[in-house]
Amino acid sequence: MSLTTTPTGPGRPGSEVPPAQLTALDAARGSGVGSVPGREGARRRRSGHDVAITATGALALAGVVATVWLGLWVTPPDRFMGNLVRLLYIHPSIAWVMYICYGVAFLASLLYLWPRTRSLRFDKLAGASSEVGVVFTGLTLVTGSIWGRPTWGVWWTWDPLLTTTALLFVLYLGYLAVRRIPGEPEVCARRSAIAALVAFVDVPICYFSVLWWRSLHQAPTVADPITGKTYIHGSMAWTLLLSFVTFTLVYAWLVARRYRLFVLAEREGDEGLVLAIEERRAESLQGRS
Amino acid sequence: MWRDALLVAGKDLRIEARSKVGLGQVVPFALVVVLLFGLALGPAAGRGSVLSLAAPGLYWVAVLLATVLAVQRSFAIEALDGASDGLKLSGLDPAGIFVGKAAAVCGQLLALEVVLAGAVALLYDRHLAGGLLLVASCLAATVGLVSVGTIYGVVSSGSRQRETLLPLLFFPMVAPILLAATKAWDAALAGTPGRGTGWLDVLAVFAVAYLAMGTVAFGPLLEDA
Amino acid sequence: MNGYVEAGYVVGLGTLAGYAASLVARERSARRRLAGGGVRQVAAPSASESPAPGGEPSTVERPASPAAAPPPRHRR
Repeated sequence: MSLTTTPTGPGRPGSEVPPAQLTALDAARGSGVGSVPGREGARRRRSGHDVAITATGALALAGVVATVWLGLWVTPPDRFMGNLVRLLYIHPSIAWVMYICYGVAFLASLLYLWPRTRSLRFDKLAGASSEVGVVFTGLTLVTGSIWGRPTWGVWWTWDPLLTTTALLFVLYLGYLAVRRIPGEPEVCARRSAIAALVAFVDVPICYFSVLWWRSLHQAPTVADPITGKTYIHGSMAWTLLLSFVTFTLVYAWLVARRYRLFVLAEREGDEGLVLAIEERRAESLQGRS
Repeated sequence: MWRDALLVAGKDLRIEARSKVGLGQVVPFALVVVLLFGLALGPAAGRGSVLSLAAPGLYWVAVLLATVLAVQRSFAIEALDGASDGLKLSGLDPAGIFVGKAAAVCGQLLALEVVLAGAVALLYDRHLAGGLLLVASCLAATVGLVSVGTIYGVVSSGSRQRETLLPLLFFPMVAPILLAATKAWDAALAGTPGRGTGWLDVLAVFAVAYLAMGTVAFGPLLEDA
Repeated sequence: MNGYVEAGYVVGLGTLAGYAASLVARERSARRRLAGGGVRQVAAPSASESPAPGGEPSTVERPASPAAAPPPRHRR
């Protein structure tokens, strides 16, 4: 676990602000400078996690550039698919990240429900990962469709993988809607974790029933199922591998950023509460004097 | 647990017997849906027409739509007058509450399915054949539907937008049921029940999986609702 | 090359870039709210009251419930 709720500022008033600090806030307010503590908190030190996230982002960006360059210009066109094979460096890796997203969200939900590892960190991780997952699922569908049109002649076909992916997309849109139900953080987290598990169990059932329903699919491999020979050029294999690594890095960066947004929102809620309490106290103290 | 389930199911069915919302609103709604499909895909009827061929699928879509209403009704009666607090404090086994509520909705839905099957046979001109497979798939599918419906009913009951949230959660989840039940009915109506038994298995697996999940998960979900 | 390949790359990478940008923007606005906006927003009413601390506080502070006053005093 490299994602932890690190306080990024030294003097940031968190959830447990000692009374002394509250009086300091009072003093600052009295002198008419309303935003002094806030401005101090805004100057945040770059922690190790921030550096790691930025490094991941830089690597991911470099990877994307390299993948595009290799994919569009360096690698040769395929013997059968021609230039269309270049979509190989986009679509399968996005689909792969989609599986990572849901796998991580599932594990995090499980860890949240397990009493010994119960921590809101896992809830935030599940939320971040599934939101990124929905984005990648949408992209899997769209890029797949763009690839399917020239190769199969149709934008959409009711094959098991496509249908299950489409169902996954709506299933997890529903899960994100469940996450937005307001309530206590613990209550929301437990509800969301259960909803995630309930949704996850549906995926294999969906897949196998659609598989029976219509079992015509082109195997998602880079090997010819008849001859057993791979029809992929050396530079193509490397580019494909690079694209998988790249998009995994992109995933890591997106999840880390989304996670940090959850942390900030949480802190905002805490701080709002502290400020409201302290505000009320200041009012009542003034009223007594 | 079973006694608690009977208690809750009895309570829900008694409320239904007195209010007649299911009879007065959900069943007519399902009939309206059947009529609408007729308008959309008609007017050709009889053997080989679109309506007749699509009858199993249309039937199950109508059942799915009605299920959402029935589940919403089942949780609406708990939302009134703080009844859900009473349910939480009653000391009843949560698994029992789950089974009871699911059983009550299940009973209502099975009655609705009988009426709807008659309507489909009549309006879409499809002879109802293969009785055993038909009934068995109805039973298994309905248990699966109400299990998922009851789980998501309690999940969404904490939300103010539950009317819109429940369908969004429910329909994608029960896509395998729609698929399998339609195929099972297709096989039964076509007079080849042998093709349908595999789909019956899918329905049974789904029903058992979500019944089990519901009995485990309902306690914590009810607490939070 | 044909349009499909370019379309795939543009849609795929463009969407990801858009999502990343939205995350960054949301984080920035959240930090801004945390740093200044939130405090100033809450501070505004009390700042308007502070110029007249000794003037006529009893009438201005009427809405503040008197029952809420004692507990913080005791905690101090």
